[in-house]
Amino acid sequence: MTAVDLFVQQLINGLSLGAMYSLLALGFTLVYGIMELINFSHFNVFMVGCMIAMLTLQAMGLSGQSVILSGAPLVLTLLAGFGVSMVLCGFIGVGIERFLLRPLRDVKGPAAMITTIGVSYVLFNLVLLTLGSDSKNFPNPLPPVVFPIGGAVLRLREVLIWITAAVMMFALNYFTRYTKLGKAMRATAQDPEAARMMGVEVDRVIMISFFIGSALAGASGMIFGLYYNLAKVDIGFAAGLRAFTAAVLGGIGNVPGAMLGGVLIGLIEAMSAQALGSAWSDVVIFSLLVLVLVFRPAGLLGRLAPNKS
Amino acid sequence: MITRRSTFRIATGIASAAVLGSPAAYAADQAVKVGIDLSFTGADAETAARIANGAILAFEDANAAHTVKGVTFELVKYDDATATAGQYDPAQAATNARKMVSDKDYIAAIGPQMSGAGKAMSPILSAGNLATITPSSTNPDITDPKFAAEYRPAGKAIYFRTVATDAYQGPNMANYMAEKLKIKSVYVLDDSGAYGVGLADAFQKQAEAKGVKVLGRDRLDPKAADYSAILTKIKAAAPDALYYGGVGQAGVKLAKQAYEIIPNVIKAGGDGMQSADLLKGAGFPAVQGWYATVASPHVTDDPKTAKFRERYFARFKIYPDDYTVTCYTAAQVIIAAAQKVAATGKPVTRDAVRDAIQNVALPDSMLGPIQFDENGDLKNKIISVFQIQKDDKHPLDDPASQYKYVGVAPMS
Repeated sequence: MTAVDLFVQQLINGLSLGAMYSLLALGFTLVYGIMELINFSHFNVFMVGCMIAMLTLQAMGLSGQSVILSGAPLVLTLLAGFGVSMVLCGFIGVGIERFLLRPLRDVKGPAAMITTIGVSYVLFNLVLLTLGSDSKNFPNPLPPVVFPIGGAVLRLREVLIWITAAVMMFALNYFTRYTKLGKAMRATAQDPEAARMMGVEVDRVIMISFFIGSALAGASGMIFGLYYNLAKVDIGFAAGLRAFTAAVLGGIGNVPGAMLGGVLIGLIEAMSAQALGSAWSDVVIFSLLVLVLVFRPAGLLGRLAPNKS
Repeated sequence: MITRRSTFRIATGIASAAVLGSPAAYAADQAVKVGIDLSFTGADAETAARIANGAILAFEDANAAHTVKGVTFELVKYDDATATAGQYDPAQAATNARKMVSDKDYIAAIGPQMSGAGKAMSPILSAGNLATITPSSTNPDITDPKFAAEYRPAGKAIYFRTVATDAYQGPNMANYMAEKLKIKSVYVLDDSGAYGVGLADAFQKQAEAKGVKVLGRDRLDPKAADYSAILTKIKAAAPDALYYGGVGQAGVKLAKQAYEIIPNVIKAGGDGMQSADLLKGAGFPAVQGWYATVASPHVTDDPKTAKFRERYFARFKIYPDDYTVTCYTAAQVIIAAAQKVAATGKPVTRDAVRDAIQNVALPDSMLGPIQFDENGDLKNKIISVFQIQKDDKHPLDDPASQYKYVGVAPMS
């Protein structure tokens, strides 16, 4: 491998990681943008999404990497996996919002945020109790197609991750910018009281944003499984923390910011592992986060919001 | 599963042997106790039962055959696992050690199963001068003279082992890879845990001494999911082999991703990579070809042990594993030590038995020659090497059938 090949390969690795972080970061940013709430249950909704996707694929007769599909069956299987995990995770998010966070909506202080941490642990322990703590072999029906780029290799799963992430991010961006519901969301984000007076159903808007954010976590869970062929009960914390960092780095509450932050963190992680050793990745990522926040407190693309209170 | 009843059975066996038909000279047999401390409940219960059976068999034999004239053994079971810990609990292990030490009838002990329990028990046993022989705990610190003040404050070795330690897994595997696999270069990884870092350090030192070029050394975060960046770096360095010191948490992910990125590199690890979790979590084809080591001789496939296996199966209805044999051997050592003391006509006390264990020589145990050095470690340290080779005829997550024994890793 030449230095250029190596760079290209690490670029591919970093972009794939980044795509996954971006999708997860969107969930944080969406909820924060609307409610100014950091939703820590997102970590483990993602993990549950990965487990749901695994069980769905297994229910369709796939196990391990032994069954390889192609053509229409492959597409249908993947769509089913994405569909089931996204819809179920979406409803988990709605449930969390409706039954646990709505009663706290008017409570000042960190009560709602602490609740989301609690929910995160409940989800974690539910999976621990029912599925156990061992590493699970995530079924992967993708054919091992490889595209060589010089000495580097691009695998089908990487292409798939990029396309899926890009489609979802652009759809979300379009949705929040140009649809009626998206406009209602942004209105709620700016001032829930005024939005309500203008006829926006604030409760419904918040519920929908939870549904979308959690569905994206479900999609990330499926992507995680396909990329690593692995599902485990503790995957939520490490990936969730990076994604949260990505959201803050890009400017929390800002959709393109979350994408940028995710991709940046993925790239930094890959490149610093190459240049310094993987033990240093976290040091580099979080030092950079601190630096960005010192010089741009609102994040790279964020704008400092006027204080609402 | 060992229950209180099996201890009882040994005791009644002794009693009936004493009453029925034994010569009058044995009627006043000295009854001595041997404690066995393992994790009989919790996560390691199944292994503990298998291990304990080895000692039960050995003492039943010794009592039935009157191997030691004037002495009958009573094996007393101690469980060092607690419900709150879900596995071994060092505090419970310490309590057990105190109980044994405070009763003069105890002449020796077997156990513990886990190094963490051993660290808690060792100073207490040292104060009471009660020797124990562990069939399975491999942490090198407990018998390392560097830590003598901590683990044997009274000075004499009281923690003996019928297994080798982690300090030999790394270096011996380095020898094996240099001599048998003929590797010229290696990349070393660890999982940032105490076991993994120690193992990788020891491997790296010996690999360098053997003239193998160490192309790099890196550390995996066991909680992170992605190792593709570091594996890409390794791919670019193009080593002959990858050595990983660590346990399954990072190991499973490493095995999966290494298969995709560096499929043709020889991959090896310590006993942390010998597990059902690896076979289940990473699965075939990712795990195919990985090497792993175990800090004891592999004897259960050895024709020499066939008779033992049959006898064991007839008595317990399950098959023994390697640690059953190390436990059986531990019991044999205690019996041989007691025999030696009894032959001199002196009373069989724990002080005399400790000294006898220190000097015991079993030339042809199932594990090979058994002798201890002044720290309590085996003089003859054997590290067995296994390789994962897919065997479709057996369950693909069963370590006993998927790990093939490929030989002994040579000592330096």
